[in-house]
Amino acid sequence: MQEAAERAAEKLGAPEERKWPLKPEFTPEMLAEMERLLPEKLKNRVVATSLAGCIHCGMCSDTCHYSVSIPEDKTLVPAYKADRFRKWYKSRFDWMGRIFPSFVGAQPLTKELAEDMFDKLFGGCTMCRRCTYNCPMGVDYGMMVRAARSMMQKVGRCPQNLQDTVDTHYNHGNNMAVPQDEFVETIEWIEEELQDEEGCEDFTIPIDKQGATYFLTLNPREPKYYPLTIQATAKILNAAGVDFTISSRYWDLTNYALFNGNDEDARLFSLWQVEDVKRLQCEYLLSGECGHGYRALRWELPNWVGGAPFKITSVMELMAKLIQDGKLNIDKSVHADKRVTYHDSCNIARSGGILEEPRIVIRAAADDFVEMEHNREKSYCCGGGGGALAMSEFSKRRIAAGRIKAEEIRATGANIVLQSCHNCTDQLKEIIEHHGIDAKVMNLAELVAEALVV
Amino acid sequence: MENKVSYALYILQEPVQYLALSFMALMYAIKISQLLKKPFPPERAELKGDRVSGALHSLTNVLRPWDMESTSKHLYFYTEFMIFHVAVALTIGSTFLIPLAPQVMTPTVTAVFMLFMAAAFLIGLRRIYRRLTVPEIRIISTPDDYFAITLMTVFFGVGVVTMWLWIQGRPETGWMWLFFLMTTFFLIYVPFSKISHYVLYPFGRVNFGMIFGGRGILNRQNRNVTWDPK
Repeated sequence: MQEAAERAAEKLGAPEERKWPLKPEFTPEMLAEMERLLPEKLKNRVVATSLAGCIHCGMCSDTCHYSVSIPEDKTLVPAYKADRFRKWYKSRFDWMGRIFPSFVGAQPLTKELAEDMFDKLFGGCTMCRRCTYNCPMGVDYGMMVRAARSMMQKVGRCPQNLQDTVDTHYNHGNNMAVPQDEFVETIEWIEEELQDEEGCEDFTIPIDKQGATYFLTLNPREPKYYPLTIQATAKILNAAGVDFTISSRYWDLTNYALFNGNDEDARLFSLWQVEDVKRLQCEYLLSGECGHGYRALRWELPNWVGGAPFKITSVMELMAKLIQDGKLNIDKSVHADKRVTYHDSCNIARSGGILEEPRIVIRAAADDFVEMEHNREKSYCCGGGGGALAMSEFSKRRIAAGRIKAEEIRATGANIVLQSCHNCTDQLKEIIEHHGIDAKVMNLAELVAEALVV
Repeated sequence: MENKVSYALYILQEPVQYLALSFMALMYAIKISQLLKKPFPPERAELKGDRVSGALHSLTNVLRPWDMESTSKHLYFYTEFMIFHVAVALTIGSTFLIPLAPQVMTPTVTAVFMLFMAAAFLIGLRRIYRRLTVPEIRIISTPDDYFAITLMTVFFGVGVVTMWLWIQGRPETGWMWLFFLMTTFFLIYVPFSKISHYVLYPFGRVNFGMIFGGRGILNRQNRNVTWDPK
């Protein structure tokens, strides 16, 4: 009881609460501030090269899920969208653009251009980097768009819900403001549910276990809306004898500052995570099934905080390894009547390097696995990435942009769509319903847990 | 073949070209040094792949059209691209060979050059047409884009005629003057135009290869490897 009371009293997140001041439109002062911020962004060589490097060859035009799914709107072609930013850059830093701006399409930053940038780079790009992979010049649209978002957010122009998500994380230590005592109670309840399963009576979900090998992190949507995902993951880890724990403090693996571009917040959220792993002296920071969360932990966290004194991996990789090592006994016949397909989350595959592990897991648990036409690093974004789910002002376009993914799912004939990302889960559910496809969306742990023999 | 030309044409073919070339080199040096001064984003994460082999893989992807969907789906476009750029190299090469090593420009060699220039001329015309008529290309096109492709196309056209006259043993013609005047203009103009993209190309490709090679996505050797977990 005393322990629970202490937990309830602990203030997680930043000491003082804040609400980032957002503006409904760009003002001259905001534009002036953006002008001041631009040179700083150009200190990054990848951003600078990406701004200067586009030759308008148009090879990206049929690589983006927006431009492919909504072909009637030519302003969704990646080069066009990026040019909203590039025009401004050229007016200040391109030699020809400073002398003959209209000749190279340079344009000073006006309110109209800034609003267009907001519309296209927040609401028309998920930073999925599919165009980057198809650009002959190696233009990194993801990094360039994030730089543009970063400046807009800094001056107060950011989709409201996206900023609210970051503010909530800042104020509460997780992006859904789940109180610490409520979280612990939820985990304890999930543990009881798990123990009610046949053969799982001894399974546990240790909280704050000092010295555990793996520090398991979660997406806040799991304790809030998808507790079965936690249950499934815990079941697998227990069945394989994995020594893991969940923190009662910084268990949220998400980092929406990756999407709004605020590096200070991204760094702060990462630092909390690092300190918490150090507090529990775990050997591995283990990312749950979450696309951007995995990327933020595995690839961006060490850069934001200057290195990590522990190893970082993911449930997807760990499950594959456990299967390869024969530590999981799986009965495929449980899924005998199902055809499954797998959607590669952009942040897990293209930006994260997890390409084969999910397939190792799926093939171990299901016989009838059909790949989509575009898979692995060539997979189309489902439309839910880049924080798009948190931008209600662009919802209509987001759903429309999922058409190509929906068509590829339909073509597989699958009745189970697997993925490892909560933003993808929500988007896939929406587009499947929108396009009248009869399929269920599941994550990998759920697939495996159902077929586990314990 | 001999390059017997007037003193005036000699001035254009050599000293003027050297001056223009030096100017171009200076502009490129400034551009490159500006980019090199900018730090590459740090990568402190434990790597899953190799950044150097990723960069090499990325740099050479121009030779592997099957690597990128944008080229594998548009092989005709890719073939045009290759011919066009080989023609660029040959045409620029000819502006060095004619004054400095005219004996290399035998009728056979010159005919090969002409063949590529003629093909590139036709490709250039098609690219102008594409830029004018394909809506998603037109919407991203600037005057610089039209000017660059038109200039190159005219350059190839002039090159074909010039080479034809060269084969006839006529090293000094109005076409040769035009060819070298255009070359001079190119050398001075290109650093300010999109045509200078080849200077940025290695930077873009290396950036891409370093990031995604390090993350184990490019140049994958083992399709079954999982990263480290016990």
